[in-house]
Amino acid sequence: MTITWRAVPLAALGTVAVLLVPVPGTVLVWALVVAAVCAVDALLAASPRQVAVTRSTPGSVRLTQTARSTLTLANVGPRRLRALVRDAWLPSAGAGPNRHPVDLPPGESTRVSTVLAPTRRGDRRADRVTIRTLGPLGIAGRQASLDVPGVLRVLPEFASRRHLPSRLARLRELDGRAAVQVRGAGTEFDSLREYVIGDDVRSIDWRATARRADVVVRTWRPERDRRVLIVLDTSRTAAVRVQDAPRVDASIEAALLLSALASRAGDRVELMAYDRTLRGRVAGFSGPRLMPAVADALAGVEPALVEMDWPGVVSMVRERLSQRALVVLLSSLEPAAVEQGLLGVVGQLAERHQVVLAAVRDPEVEALRTGRGDVSEVFDAAAAERAELERGAVAVRLRQRGIEVVDALPDDLAPRLADTYLALKAAGRL
Amino acid sequence: MVAVTDTIAPATAPVVGDGTTGRSRARSRWRRARWPLAIVCLVLLVGLLAALPAPRTSTVALAPDNPSANGSRALAEVLREQGVDITYVRASAAALEAAGPGTTLLVTSDATLTDDQAAQIAASEADLVLIDPVWILSLVTSSADTTAEFAPPQVRTAECADPDALAAGTVDVSGRGFVALDDAATTCFPVPGGESAAGAYLVVEGERRVTALADGSLLANDTITAEGNAALALRTLGRHDHLVWYVPSLADTGEAAGPPLRDMLPPWAGPLGLQLLLVAAVAAVWRARRLGRVVVEPLPVTVRSGEATRGRGRLYRRSRSYGHAAAALRAGVATRTAAQLGLPRSAPAPVVIDALARATGRAAEDVAGLLYGPPPTDDTGLALLARTLDELESEVHRT
Repeated sequence: MTITWRAVPLAALGTVAVLLVPVPGTVLVWALVVAAVCAVDALLAASPRQVAVTRSTPGSVRLTQTARSTLTLANVGPRRLRALVRDAWLPSAGAGPNRHPVDLPPGESTRVSTVLAPTRRGDRRADRVTIRTLGPLGIAGRQASLDVPGVLRVLPEFASRRHLPSRLARLRELDGRAAVQVRGAGTEFDSLREYVIGDDVRSIDWRATARRADVVVRTWRPERDRRVLIVLDTSRTAAVRVQDAPRVDASIEAALLLSALASRAGDRVELMAYDRTLRGRVAGFSGPRLMPAVADALAGVEPALVEMDWPGVVSMVRERLSQRALVVLLSSLEPAAVEQGLLGVVGQLAERHQVVLAAVRDPEVEALRTGRGDVSEVFDAAAAERAELERGAVAVRLRQRGIEVVDALPDDLAPRLADTYLALKAAGRL
Repeated sequence: MVAVTDTIAPATAPVVGDGTTGRSRARSRWRRARWPLAIVCLVLLVGLLAALPAPRTSTVALAPDNPSANGSRALAEVLREQGVDITYVRASAAALEAAGPGTTLLVTSDATLTDDQAAQIAASEADLVLIDPVWILSLVTSSADTTAEFAPPQVRTAECADPDALAAGTVDVSGRGFVALDDAATTCFPVPGGESAAGAYLVVEGERRVTALADGSLLANDTITAEGNAALALRTLGRHDHLVWYVPSLADTGEAAGPPLRDMLPPWAGPLGLQLLLVAAVAAVWRARRLGRVVVEPLPVTVRSGEATRGRGRLYRRSRSYGHAAAALRAGVATRTAAQLGLPRSAPAPVVIDALARATGRAAEDVAGLLYGPPPTDDTGLALLARTLDELESEVHRT
């Protein structure tokens, strides 16, 4: 049972009665009148439990886009349904106006829709649907909350896709498919063709030339069908807030850009999100099916407050990959975490595979480093300087073990990682 | 590109109702409410029990509801048993209102009375009984006065013709005495063997009877049983059926409090207030019911970035580690400038100093002092070092 604002003026109307008969009994009588009117109105209201509710939501939506959750309400009771319906969602689902007035004769149905503008990645769940029916006087009514399940999967934003066209152009240059002044020079033997003036004389194939009357040159193309394994670190270091977003978001952007680029370049991309257990995995997808799969797998990835299990990563990589591959570790360069975890086992990875460590740099430390305002800022600057030196030292130790280190600010990480990939590909180091 | 699947999820079976019936809802409501209800009932019961029987007592001296040694509850109870109606008041206005002709007005002390109050009491038509009157007696009657000397407690005999005093025989009193100035006044219980005629008991007959007792202990619980104290007190106070027991209070200055607030309001004010209370209650019920429960966001784990760095900076500061801080700043500048000048990371100090001196045009000793000199020992030294290192770095950048 519930009452509306109309019950308040009804109660206030009793003031007239009190002024006419100024005894306390009048108030009691009027209170009973108000209670009786409310009770009768509530009894005459349609039952909120005689409404058939069906929900339909889009399966998934990319962050920053909007979606619509639609409720179909059918009045299956014998009375006219005058109600207020609230379609409740998690706050981060960004539901717009979600209270819908409904007026339904018996047996009819209607649709109400709520606009959702999600503000967080992952599965956003619908809460209960609350129906508050009103009696004929609109003074009181009845209310029930129904569990009508619904999930909206919010995919990562993939803001770094704006870097994709320029990187694809670079890829085509490497491929030799684009008309450029500098010839694409891959590292994989492609075919033989006749020498034309301007070709590099070093690429003349003398043996083939000897077999034929013409001078023949070898052409090269970039490697194809290499394997790329992206390992996303979702441990405690990924939970660090960098510029209002956890570090893992920047890593996800980088993973999406690299996956898109590598799948266009003809490489086979695999991905796993890992801390102490496997949090998400994409394997065996190629072509246009890859990116939806990657976005879907990364949608629900949240950092956990546990330490990364690097030996576990190494054994999983060994299980998955039999031939040489590019292993991209999307993690961080926290000196303590790297020294205790990654440095011990990364040698085993680096001897079989090309390993790239992509780490998100903290712009706040950079800002602290240049602070000179007062002496406490100078102390902070010294601490930041020391942290940077330690990061640098760890990066050097990783590079000594043959690992490429990409250390970039959150917005730069995705393009920098793509550039590193292209450079490795051009150099034939995959 | 991420392909956004905009397909509508397959329609599931419609949800009708929340799986409850009227009976199950009532049962679950009862189950939820019974313990709170029980606690509320218990609290109400305990409150009622605590409020009901407690006979009110006080610790005011000579008050009829004070059961302790200096109180007079014993006397008041006996008077009540004898059919005397006692009105206990603390305000002079109330005392004068209650004390008409044919009643007894007992004033237990005049120490806190104002002049106006004393004059009003003196003008009262009721029979007066004054306990230990220091200055009020002269206002009440011209036939007697209070002496200044103070006698120690001792047993005295009546030695007068007053029937009340004779009935008491002997009393155990102390305090100031009273002297009669004309025939209307009778004093009894003089100091035994004393020269003065001052007695501890005074009666002035006239239009109204004025009685004065030198000592409040005649009425007090612990001494009333001594000698003939009780007889004197009972006879003095029990002359009329109605006794106004006035214990003057410091808080009462005798000024008229005016009519109570209730009387100044129109008659409909009380019911109107109740009605407004009802309106407020209805509004509260209207606003209290939410349209469905509050939805709680499962918040993600957040760790503030730069926290470790700030913490380390604060540690440096608290321990005044100028050496460590300066070493960090110098190492940072040396590493960056060396990289700008194309020196390897492993370049020894003299090579770095040499290259920097050449790049900036500074003297080699200056650069060496800046990068490898003694650490600063105070705040200003550290700030100065940081600024000079910045300058050095910017100069390298320029070349």
